Amino acid sequence: MSGFIAGYIPLLDLYLIHLGLAFSQYIVLRAGVFSLATAALAGIGAYTAGIFAVKLGMHPVLGVLAGTVMGMAAAIVLSIPLARLRGVYQAIATVAFIQIFVSLNIYAEPITGGALGLNGIPKTVGTGILAIAAIAATYVIWAVERGRLGRAFNAIRQDEAVAASLGISIVRHQMLAFALSGALAGLFGALEAYHAYALDPNQFGFHLLITVLSYVILGGRNSVIGPVVGTAILIILPELARFLAEYRMVIYGAMLIIVINYMPKGIADTVRDAVRAGRLKRRGEDPA
Amino acid sequence: MLAQQLLNGLVVSGVYALFSLGFTLVFGIQRILNLAHGAIFMTGAMVAYYTVSAGGPLWLGFVLAILASGILSVIVELVCFRRLRKTGDEEFGGIISSIGAGLVITTIAQQVSSTQILRFPFETFPVVIYRFWGLRVSMLQLFMAGAAIVLVLVLGYFIYRTSFGRRVRAVTDNEHASMLMGINPNMIYAQTYFVAGALAGAAGVLVGLAFNSISFVMGEPYLMFAFAIIILGGLGSIPGALLASLVFGMVQTLTIAYLPSGLTDTIIFAALFLILLVRPNGILGKDDAGSLRGRR
Repeated sequence: MSGFIAGYIPLLDLYLIHLGLAFSQYIVLRAGVFSLATAALAGIGAYTAGIFAVKLGMHPVLGVLAGTVMGMAAAIVLSIPLARLRGVYQAIATVAFIQIFVSLNIYAEPITGGALGLNGIPKTVGTGILAIAAIAATYVIWAVERGRLGRAFNAIRQDEAVAASLGISIVRHQMLAFALSGALAGLFGALEAYHAYALDPNQFGFHLLITVLSYVILGGRNSVIGPVVGTAILIILPELARFLAEYRMVIYGAMLIIVINYMPKGIADTVRDAVRAGRLKRRGEDPA
Repeated sequence: MLAQQLLNGLVVSGVYALFSLGFTLVFGIQRILNLAHGAIFMTGAMVAYYTVSAGGPLWLGFVLAILASGILSVIVELVCFRRLRKTGDEEFGGIISSIGAGLVITTIAQQVSSTQILRFPFETFPVVIYRFWGLRVSMLQLFMAGAAIVLVLVLGYFIYRTSFGRRVRAVTDNEHASMLMGINPNMIYAQTYFVAGALAGAAGVLVGLAFNSISFVMGEPYLMFAFAIIILGGLGSIPGALLASLVFGMVQTLTIAYLPSGLTDTIIFAALFLILLVRPNGILGKDDAGSLRGRR
C-alpha cells in the first residue's frame, strides 16, 4: 500500500507546484489582463533561488524569499508598460517577455549556466512544504475573491468603463493582480528549484505557458475551484491514458478546442453553475 | 561582405513575408491570432518531404504541400473558430483554440516522423552556385526569392485587383455591412484561410529546402518571428507585413553576422516589446490597438 502511494508522490508534487502557477495565471486573467507572463516570472523566481543556493550558498528559506520578491518585482515592472496595451497586444507583449527571458538566460552563461542549465541545487523541499505552500496560495486567492478586491476585479474584467465610473482605479488594481501573480509564480518557481535539483531555461518557455494556461481554461476562469480542478484533470489524465502516451498532446489539444468552444466557462464553473441552477429550480417548484 | 549579408537577408525576408502575410491576413479579417499557423507551415514542409521520399518530383511535392496546408488551414478555421465567432469570444478563445489545434497537428507530425529530423535526399534541388561581383548566390536562393516574389505578387493581385479581393477587404473593414451587401462572410473566411495556409505551406517547403532539415517543431521559431513582424508592420496590414518582413529579415541577418550570436533573439524581442510600447499599431497599421469596437 505504501509502495502504491509512494509511486504517486512525484505526481502529487508536480500537481502542487503547477497549482501555484495556475493560480498565478488565474489572478491576472481575473483582473482582465491578458498576460501570459507566468512562465517567465516562474523562471525568474526559480533562477533567483537556484543562484542563491548554488553560487552564493544561501539558506533555502532566503532563496525562496528572494525568488518570491524577484518574481513580484518583475511583475510590477512589467505591469507598467502592459497597462498601455489591450487584449491581443498584451498577450503578444508577454510572449515577447518570455522569449527575452529565455534567450537572455541562455546568453548569460556565467550566471545562469546557459543552455546546460543550473545544476546541483540541494533538494530541500519535499511534499509537505509544497502542500503547505499550495494550501496557502489557495487560501490567498480565495480570500481575494471573497473580498472587495475580487469584486473590483470582476467589475474591471466585465467592463472597464463601468469600473472606472465606480471609482475603481484600473491601473492600480491590475498592478496589484500582477504583483500577486508575480509573487505566486516566483514562490512556486523557487520551490521548483529546490525540489528538482536542476533548472533548464527552456523549461520556462512557451511550453510552460501553454500548460499553465490550459489548466485555467479547462478548469474555469471565474472561481477558485477552476484552477484546482483543471490542474488535477490535466495532470491525472495522462496517467489514466498511459496506453495513449504518445498521443497525449493530441488529447490535450483536443480538450482545449472542445472546452473553449462548448464550455467556455471551464469544466468546474459549468458544473457549479448547473448545480446552482438545479437547486434554484427545485426551490421554485417546492415553495416550502 | 556586407553586400553578401544583405543578399542573404533579402532571401530570408521572402520566406518571412510568405509566412507572416497569411498570419496578418487572418488577423485582419477576423481579429484572431491563429497560433496554429506555425504547425500549418510545418505541415507544408512535411508533405513535400514525404512526396519526394516516395519518389515524386519536387514540383509535385510543392503543389501538394500548398494544397494540403491550405486545406488544413480551412479545417482549423471550421473546427476552432467558427463557433467561437458566434459567441463573440474570438479574441481570447481564438488563441486558446488555435494553441489546441497547433498541439494536435504537431503531435501527429511528431508521431509520423518518429521525432526525427528529416532531410531531403541528396540533390533534390540541384546545388549550383553562381558568382558575380564577388557575391555567391545558389540556385536555391534564387528559386526562393523568385517563388516568394511571384506568390506575393499573385496575392497582391487577388487582394487588390479582383472581386474576391474586394469582398475580402469589405469583410475586413466591416463584417456586418458586407453582409448587408450580399457577401457571405463564412465563404470569404474559408477562402482567406486557404490562401493563408497555402502561403505558409509554400514557406515551409522553401525553409525545408534551404536548411535541409524538417522537424515537427520547426514552426515555433517562425511563429515567434511572425509576431514581431506583424506587430512591426501593424496587425492586419498587408503592405505593413511585407515591409516589416524585409526590415526583419535584414536586421536578423545582420545581427547574426555582426553581433554576439546569443543575443539575436534578445534584441529582436526587446525591439518587439519597445515597438508595442511606442507605437502599438506598427508602421502601417490602422489606429485601433486591437479592439473589436466598430466592427460589430
